Amino acid sequence: MAFAMGLKNFIKSRFEQFLKRRVPGRYEHLLSRQNIFIMPTKFGFAYMFFVFLLFLLATNYQNNIIMLLSYLLASFFISVMMHSFNNFNGLKLQSSASYSGFAKQDINIPITINSLKKRYHLTLAFANQNDQHLAHLSHCETGNSEITLPFYANRRGIINLGRIKVSSEYGFGLFVAWSVLDFSHQIVVFPNPKEIETNEYNFSLEDESKASANAVSASVGMDDFSELKEYVTGESRARVAWKHFARDQGKYTKHYQSQQGGSSWLNLEDMPSHDIETQLSFLSYLINEYSNSKQVFGLKLGGLNNIKIEPSSGQKHQEKCLYALAHYPSQVSNI
Amino acid sequence: MSGNLPAVENAISTNSVTPVIYNEGAKTQFVLTNKSAWLLWICQLFNVASLGVEISSWMLGIIALCLCWQALLLTKKVQQSELSNINQPSYITPVSSLILKLFAISGCIAIAITAKSLGVLLSMVHLLSFAYILKSFELKRRKDFYQHSLLGVFLLASALIFQQNLFFSSFVFLLLLVNLTLLLSVFAPSAPIKELGKTTAILVFQSIFLAIMLFIVFPRLSPFWQVPLAKSAKTGLSDNVSPGDIANLALSSELAFRVDFKGERIPNYSRLYWRAMTLENYDGRKWSRININPQGADKNKTSVFSPEVSGNGLDYQVVAETSYQPWLFALAVATTDSPQIYLQRDYTLVNDRPLNQTKHYAITSYLDAPLDLNLSSESRKQNLAIEVESNPKLVELAAKLKQLHKQPREIAQAALSIFNEEQFFYTLQPPLLEDNSLDQFFFDTKAGFCVHYASSFTYLMRAAGIPARVVTGYLGGEYNATNEEDGLQNGHLNIYQYDAHAWSEIWIEGTGWQRVDPTAAVDPQRVNQGWSTRLLEQQSLLNNDFISLYRIKQLPWLNSLRLRLDALDYQWTRWVIGYSTKQQFDLLKRLFGQHMPWKTGAIIAITLILVMSLFTLWYRVKAPKKKQSTTPEHSLYQQCLIVLGQQGIEKDPDLTIKKFCLVVEKNAPDISSKFNQLTATFEQLIYQQANEARRKALLKKLTEQVGDFLSIVKNKTKKNIKK
Repeated sequence: MAFAMGLKNFIKSRFEQFLKRRVPGRYEHLLSRQNIFIMPTKFGFAYMFFVFLLFLLATNYQNNIIMLLSYLLASFFISVMMHSFNNFNGLKLQSSASYSGFAKQDINIPITINSLKKRYHLTLAFANQNDQHLAHLSHCETGNSEITLPFYANRRGIINLGRIKVSSEYGFGLFVAWSVLDFSHQIVVFPNPKEIETNEYNFSLEDESKASANAVSASVGMDDFSELKEYVTGESRARVAWKHFARDQGKYTKHYQSQQGGSSWLNLEDMPSHDIETQLSFLSYLINEYSNSKQVFGLKLGGLNNIKIEPSSGQKHQEKCLYALAHYPSQVSNI
Repeated sequence: MSGNLPAVENAISTNSVTPVIYNEGAKTQFVLTNKSAWLLWICQLFNVASLGVEISSWMLGIIALCLCWQALLLTKKVQQSELSNINQPSYITPVSSLILKLFAISGCIAIAITAKSLGVLLSMVHLLSFAYILKSFELKRRKDFYQHSLLGVFLLASALIFQQNLFFSSFVFLLLLVNLTLLLSVFAPSAPIKELGKTTAILVFQSIFLAIMLFIVFPRLSPFWQVPLAKSAKTGLSDNVSPGDIANLALSSELAFRVDFKGERIPNYSRLYWRAMTLENYDGRKWSRININPQGADKNKTSVFSPEVSGNGLDYQVVAETSYQPWLFALAVATTDSPQIYLQRDYTLVNDRPLNQTKHYAITSYLDAPLDLNLSSESRKQNLAIEVESNPKLVELAAKLKQLHKQPREIAQAALSIFNEEQFFYTLQPPLLEDNSLDQFFFDTKAGFCVHYASSFTYLMRAAGIPARVVTGYLGGEYNATNEEDGLQNGHLNIYQYDAHAWSEIWIEGTGWQRVDPTAAVDPQRVNQGWSTRLLEQQSLLNNDFISLYRIKQLPWLNSLRLRLDALDYQWTRWVIGYSTKQQFDLLKRLFGQHMPWKTGAIIAITLILVMSLFTLWYRVKAPKKKQSTTPEHSLYQQCLIVLGQQGIEKDPDLTIKKFCLVVEKNAPDISSKFNQLTATFEQLIYQQANEARRKALLKKLTEQVGDFLSIVKNKTKKNIKK
């Protein structure tokens, strides 16, 4: 058993090495003899067995026509192999950009397929993802077609997407032609946002004293109310000034004093958990919440590098903070 | 803040909408498009139809019922999908599996009950077709569909066990294309069936080359084990006849056998008496063989018999059609080298098993050689035996003849002149005889077909003390000259069932068995040229075929077409169906010298490589090219680029044409103004959506400009050389 496992791993690693030489990583791949693999499917093997049965039938009945039929089907098998290769040959796949997204959510990776002719039955999937995450194209027209392939990341960090397996069973289901392409993809995976009870955490105000931290919630009016602004689609409903809305004075959202007085700091150490990953997840949630409600906030991660991001707001700031979370060294430090 | 933050850099335009299905797991339900579902239905219909003759009518009924049911469900499904806007109706029918199981079990029981009368092979075929049709109710996964497809092809193959002629084989070949198209349609549901059919056809035709090569060189093996043989209805002559029997056979225009004389002169029509069997036993009603062994020859007794022959031998090849009977046909006295054929004591040939497929055999016949110069007492006794009570009047007549004539020959002649002189009538519709009484025929009705005449003549001879027997076989044949060339008689003879005939043989001291055909005395044309027009008309009336052979023969163009097709079918039978181990051995020896296994392997390998490289070539030629540099403006611009390249100014592929102008200006300011002009024109041509007239004008302008430019550059180089 152990030996079998060892052998399997050995073969796998050898194949991995072979692939590295054969199909090196680049952002664009042109499918050719270099990188297309063809194997008969289970049905392909069954078909060959069936052809052999026909041959036996023909021999036993000394029937030349059935024999001719079995030979025809056997050489058809070879023709289909060539055809299957040809359906795949010359297909161009591109995927260049770097992407980011949250862990435990599907991250859509766009891939552009360029073809000079119509092709059928293409399946794309990440080689190291499960069956549920594949894209199937029943046909692909000439020219460029763009598809997105969902990627599911289990953990945060800088993740190498690995190879994308492109396959097609267009060859009558007898053959599967495939290629494993390395686009040298690296994506930044942010921690999965984990909802945090509003009264469970404190956040610090930069009022020279850490002691003056007070609990705040996004909707409870602990801060002083500052102004009403016109409602922008996407804003939290909790902030809508329903009284004004009910009086038909228009849709407004309430904005609070705290944003002006001093910007809040999100501190890793303040997160109510002992597990660093959970803490990061809480932070991820908060960063999204604060950004959605357009609050000004800073981020303190501490640690060896003493990462600190000055308070700001906006999408750029949000990204910056999330990237910082993604890059935060994990305790096992095997990222 | 939704799922991710794409840093969009990708600005590649998408010019087509591609249907993408996500998360299509392996375990999702298998769904056929409506088109494919109907194709599947058609496939089933025709696959079963190819076995239609073999399958018994009750099973055909069940299958028809199933197909109707499926068609009904399909049409319903289409309506449903139109209403509810589901664009992919499935073939999965809402038949409860319990009903289906019950149905399957009852069907199997029915097959088991009838198995005894059907025989093993036909039972299998019944089971196969039944399973095939039922399986289509349960196409839930792709695996089921694969099984169903293979079952369909197997059904086609088994149909070939029963029939192999050219037309049926072509039909099966076409069906195979349809079956494979169906398989392909699953993988390209959006493509039109016509296109898929074309793809499949191209692939199959590309496979033919290798298939033929394999067929020619791949070693033929002997059967591995005994297989159940087809037990179909016997056709052709039977081993016992009563008057009126052959008249039924005469209505059939089915082929019985073909004869190829390989360019030798074909004997006269009146000598083409193809003997099949001798009937020496008469029980007062019908004639039968003495040594009844319908399963084939009695190998121990008869294999020793080799007839004495003299004179010139006539070589020919016979291709007997499937008859499910062991009799073979030849002209007397026949000899053969084939180990499977046994010569009988009565100079007939019997195969070692019933003919369940076409049989090829080579015969050498000695037409002038005598049969049995010495008659054993046992045989004499057998051939004189009559039942006096059955036909007393004929016995009386025989006694009278015997008194008048001494010599057997004279007695026979006298009997024939009675047939000739009295009002005997040769007809396919003889009046019925009571108890097959020969007396009634000879003295009363006087109308009959060949068996009537042969029986009564033989009876008469036996009564007169001359050993006599009835011989059945075929007379004559139709000569097909389509393959004829250079005046050689290269064509072949077709002998149809309606050529079936019965005649007599009498034994004369010193001569042996002598053929006497009483039919010749009644209807000489039948014996010399074949059927008379009157008989043909009668036949055409009697058999209810919409297109009878007689009617086809009336139309010259149709008849020549028939003969042409027949010649084609003959070649098919001879070269493909009849391609045997021996022929393979001879052919390979002639082509490649001494036979060796490695040579066969090499030939197959070379063919394979050849086919694959042809494929690659074909795909390369067919591969779609990028449209660049094919338009005239591109090629003109390309010319300029080449010239500039010779000057040392090369265009980096990344540079736009405008930027390249700047490069030219920098490197060769003297020609840059001309180049700028032509670049402007070129740009207009490729980027403006100009109409046809404007395009033409622009192209003309560009041509002139390029011409100018090229000449300037040429002059410049000349000057440079001079310097």
